[in-house]
Formats: sequence, C-alpha cells, structure tokens
Amino acid sequence: MPSNGSMILDSKGRGSKLLMTAAKNWALLFLFLLVAVFSITGKGFFSLTNFQNIIHLSTIFLLLSAAETYVIIAGGIDLSVGFVMGLSSVLSAKIMQILHASALPEPASMLIGGVVGLTVCIIPGLISGTLIARFNVPPFIATLGMWGVTNGITLRICQGFPISFLPSKLVGLGNGYLLYILPGRAVSFFHKPFGIQGSQIRELVRIFPNSLLFSFFVLFILWYILKHTKFGQHTYAVGGSMDAAIRAGIDVRRHLILTYTLSSFLAGLAGVFNVFQTGIGNFTPFSAMYELFAIAGVVIGGASLMGGKGSILGACVGAVMIRLLENGLSISGVEPFFRFVAVGLILILAVVIDQMFPELF
Amino acid sequence: MERSNNRGKGFLMFLGRRWALMFLVLESLVFSFTAPAFFSVKGIQIVLFFGTTIFLLGTAETFVIITGGIDLSVGFIMGFASIVSAKLTVIFTRMGLPPGVGILLGILITWMIGLIPGYVNGTLVARLNVPPFIATFSMLGITHGISELLIRGVPAKNLPYLANAIGNGYFIYSVPGEIVSLFKKPIIQRGVLLYEIIPNVVVIAFVFILVFAFILKRSKFGQHTYAVGGNIDAAIRAGINVKAHLIKIYMVSSFFATLSGTIYMLQYITGKADAGAPFLLDAIVSVVIGGASLYGGIGTVGGTILGCLILSVLETGLRMMGVPTFDKYIAVGIILIFAVLVDQFFPELIHKGD
Repeated sequence: MPSNGSMILDSKGRGSKLLMTAAKNWALLFLFLLVAVFSITGKGFFSLTNFQNIIHLSTIFLLLSAAETYVIIAGGIDLSVGFVMGLSSVLSAKIMQILHASALPEPASMLIGGVVGLTVCIIPGLISGTLIARFNVPPFIATLGMWGVTNGITLRICQGFPISFLPSKLVGLGNGYLLYILPGRAVSFFHKPFGIQGSQIRELVRIFPNSLLFSFFVLFILWYILKHTKFGQHTYAVGGSMDAAIRAGIDVRRHLILTYTLSSFLAGLAGVFNVFQTGIGNFTPFSAMYELFAIAGVVIGGASLMGGKGSILGACVGAVMIRLLENGLSISGVEPFFRFVAVGLILILAVVIDQMFPELF
Repeated sequence: MERSNNRGKGFLMFLGRRWALMFLVLESLVFSFTAPAFFSVKGIQIVLFFGTTIFLLGTAETFVIITGGIDLSVGFIMGFASIVSAKLTVIFTRMGLPPGVGILLGILITWMIGLIPGYVNGTLVARLNVPPFIATFSMLGITHGISELLIRGVPAKNLPYLANAIGNGYFIYSVPGEIVSLFKKPIIQRGVLLYEIIPNVVVIAFVFILVFAFILKRSKFGQHTYAVGGNIDAAIRAGINVKAHLIKIYMVSSFFATLSGTIYMLQYITGKADAGAPFLLDAIVSVVIGGASLYGGIGTVGGTILGCLILSVLETGLRMMGVPTFDKYIAVGIILIFAVLVDQFFPELIHKGD
C-alpha cells in the first residue's frame, strides 16, 4: 500500500499530496463536516454534554464494529453479533436478577452475572468458527445459523420481555462519569459530590463518561493486537491471501476459530455493557439490525468485504459517524426515518469512493 | 459410475440426493401425529397461505444467489411495496374509481415502481462494482426510510373491502355434492360444511413462480444466469452482456419482493414498513436448503420451493402444537447448518445428475 501511494506522489507533486491525504481520510473529513453542519442546524448540538452523549450511545456499536473488523479483515462476515449481544444481555441480566433476589450482595451478583454472560457468549463464536474453519461452511451461512439459534435461545430465556428488577448500582456504574465538577465549589471522582442541592444539579458539569473510559480501554487493546502483534498480522495475512497464509505456515484453521470466538466475545461484552447502561436485560428485536449497522461502520471506515483491509480506527470513525448522524438529524428536527436513508447513501458513497480510487487506500 | 456399485448404496444415494424432500415428508408425518389438525385440507392450505411470502422472497433470492450475489433488501422492498400499493389503492378509490379497477391499477403501478430499487441495486453491483452485500443493504436502509416517511407510523388503512375478498378468498368453494362455485363464496345455511380450496394468493404467487421457473430452466436468460454465476470471466468471454444481465437479475428479485408486498396488502389489508423484515432469513435459508450455493452457479426454483415448504410446515406445525415460536428460530438455524454440512460432506450426492 505505501509503495503504491508514494509512486503517485512522486509523479504529481504537492497539490495531489494534499488531495491524497484528504481522500484517504475522507471518512474523518466527512465526520468533521457533519459536526460543522449539525452545529449550525441543531441547537445544543455543539456542546460537551451532547458529544459525551453521542460517545455514550455509540459504545455498543463501537464494540460490535470492532468485532466485525477482525472478522472482515480475515475475509469473513459475522451476522450473529447482534443476537449474541442480545443473548449475553438477557442471560447476564437473568442471573443477576436471580442472585439479587436471593439477597446476594449487589457487586457479587453483578460480577457473577457479567462473567457468566461473557463466558457463555464464547460458545456461538467457537461453533461458527469451527463450522467455517473445519467444515468449510461459508461464513455467511454459519453465522446466519447462529443468528437463528442465539435469537431463539434469547427469546426462550426472556419469554419476549425485557428482564428487570436488577441491582440498582448497575445503572450508576454504566451511566456514571469519571469527573464531576460543580464550578468553583466541588470536584469529585466517580460519584456526584455529596450534599448537593437539587438546584445545583443543573450546574453540575460531568466529564468523561465511564462508557468512554471502558470503550477506550477495550478498543486500545484491540487496536494494539491488530496492529502490533503476531495475531493481528496473521489476521491480515489470512484475509489477504488464504493460500499464501497456509504456505507461510500459519495455522489458518485455528486462527479463524480464534477470530470468530473473539468477535463473539466482543458481542457478549457489548451485551453485558448494555445491561449496565440500561439497567435491564434487552433482547435484540428483529428490526434492530445491529450486525448490519456494525458492518456498515466497518465498511465506511475503509475495510473491504473481500478481506485483508481495514483498521480499528476506521471502524470507530464509521460507527461514531452513524450515531452522530442519528443524533444530529434528530437535534436538527429532521424526522428519524431519514436516518435509514442517510446511512444507506453514505454506505454507497464509501464503497464507490473505494472503487473509484483504489490507489488511494 | 455409481451404477456399478451394489443396490443398497444406490438406494442410499437416491435418498441422500433428496434429503430435503425426505425431511419434508418426515416433518409432515411428525406434525400429523403431534398436531391433530395438521393433516387436513385446511392445515395444508394454511401452510401454503402463510408460506406465500417465503415462496416469493425465496424465488427472488434464488435468482440473485445463482449469480453469486445476495439481496438483503427484499424484506423492506416488500414492506415498501405493501405501503405504496395500499396508498395508491386508497387514492384511486377516493377518486371514484370502482374498487376492482382501483386495486388493479394500484398493484400494477406498484409493480412498475418496485422495479426501481432493483435497477439501482443492479447498477451499483454491475456498473460501480459495489459488493452486493453493501449495495442491497444500503437499499434496505433507503426503502425502509422511505416507507416509514410514507406512512409516518400509522399503518395504511381504509382499503376497499374487495381487497380482503381477494386476499383471503379461495379459488374454489364447494359444498360436497351440491354447490361448486369459483371465486365467490356461495350463500349457504349455517352449519353446512363448506370446503374452501386453494387460496387466491397462492394461485397468484404460483403463476409467477412457475413462469420464472420456466424462464430459469429453459430460456437463454436462465442459461446466462447460471453462466454468470458459475464463472463470470467465462461468461464475459462467451459474449454475454454480464452487466446488463446482472441489472436484470436484481430487477427480477426486486419484482418478486414487490409482488410479495402487494400480496401482503391483499392478505392483511394494510401496508407496513417492516412487513418483510423477519422473512429475510427464511428466504436465504430456503434457497440454501434447496441446494443452491452462495458462491453462485447452482440452484433451482424447485429446490427453493421445497426449502420454503420445509420452513412453512415447521412454523405452522409448531404453532399448531402450541410450542412458542421462539423455538422456530433455533430449528431454522440448525436446519440451515445441517443443509450446508450435508452439502459439504457428500458433494457427489447432491450435484450428480443435474
């Protein structure tokens, strides 16, 4: 990739260099453009609260997009993430509910519920990975099968209703902030300053949501693994050319199973986080289409569905862009239905740019 | 080659090649015993009536999957079509046209409009090299958004009564030995047993499915479809206009989705944006059960219909047994993986003799 880029640079000089950089980072530029436009059209869009809000709401999508990034780079696709997320959310909530009802201390029931939810969510990934790697089932089919199975199990656990009556500390953790400042009077970490009056709550400045901290932490690890470890390099190798990867001595089957397990685990993490954020166990409805929006985010971020191309940072830009669009449109008073149209159009734009200027990427 | 082997193996081969059919028969037998009302004229017609959507969407997917693509937008194109046809019908009847003409005009115009998403999909895929997955997913978003804008949260209503009569009516009504009437429900006394045979919508659906099955099997268009899916380079070298052909294929798919939307309008006398959303999985699964390969080049409409029947029987049977429909999704997922595993382990079983 870099050699390709530099060749064109040499031949065209400085102006095209700027253009190249712009086109290469078009997603980021487009994100800034959206921010600028919505700042003008939407009252209250350009504010600390709202930006934190957008990040807070896009946490699940960031995790799911990161999961898809790995799978897509390895040349596959994972359609089950949305429902695996629902499964972990409902399962961990159910366990928390039972433990909470049997008067276990809140932290213990939260911890056990979360850990069980995460552990169980490795299983769908293991199964689909094994089907794909050992039995040559196309990824689309294997994960679509898991899509059905996890959805059925989820609905069976929750009987079609969200699971409530969970420990009350959950929401405090999921929706809390790192820093609370009451200008000129008080500063406190992780919880609101004590003895605060009702009227003062409006003045309270909340900075750095816990969800940002959490997603930043997870995404940093994932970015590091993809960029700087052998596992990440192998992922690119498997996606770039399967035959070459086998000849280079990579255990492709094991690697694919690990990739799908990781994707499933991240979806489970998103589900557990969802419980912390909303305070209930949500099953995934049909019309949510989390997996498709996650894939859209990854593709907007410059990945190719053919494999071998993509990055965590790009996926983050793509995932945030979709949320930002939704938030900006609704603040600007546009009907929410336009969101679907807008996401569709941006997605087409992303791929068409990718196709028209292959030398850019 | 297999002829030289002994007879038992030949029989096994025979069964293995038709495992989907065997599965359907077995499934029907099980439900006949567990759900008392399943094995009856009514029960079978319920399977067909509620299966109409999957039949049509499955046929739509078949064409696209044979060319090696995928169409994610069929579900929401169906919802879009159900809304457009409902709105148009209401407008035409308000203008004072008789309900029959209004419904007919509404449906015909919707069929025309329904070709547009397919044309856009096809252009994106064929001319701009957008992967089918992305192109059709974008179209899913766009049709979803437009249909929500058209109805703004309120389902379309005030459709003429005739729509209900067509959508929920039957082809033949008969009181054994006395009356036989076509299309029209005869006036009978209470308590007299009236047989209703073949729902109208099933007839409409199968007319189109048979025509297109014939086109796929016997015409140049069909042969080109298999050629494009089997090896696109070879197809180009053979002088097939691949780009134009792909656009036509996505238009066929979109047309079948539209058809299923208009039939939904007749069946439920309303239009709903997410009418087809849960059926996307079913459509793709039925195509795969029917022996098609997602890599393209293989697949038949007949196989797809068999796959659709398996799913439709499963759903109806489970519902008649009183099992929660959640279990259906587990079963569908497992059948899907099973179908592909059979295909992987015994490739010589499936693709010989085609």
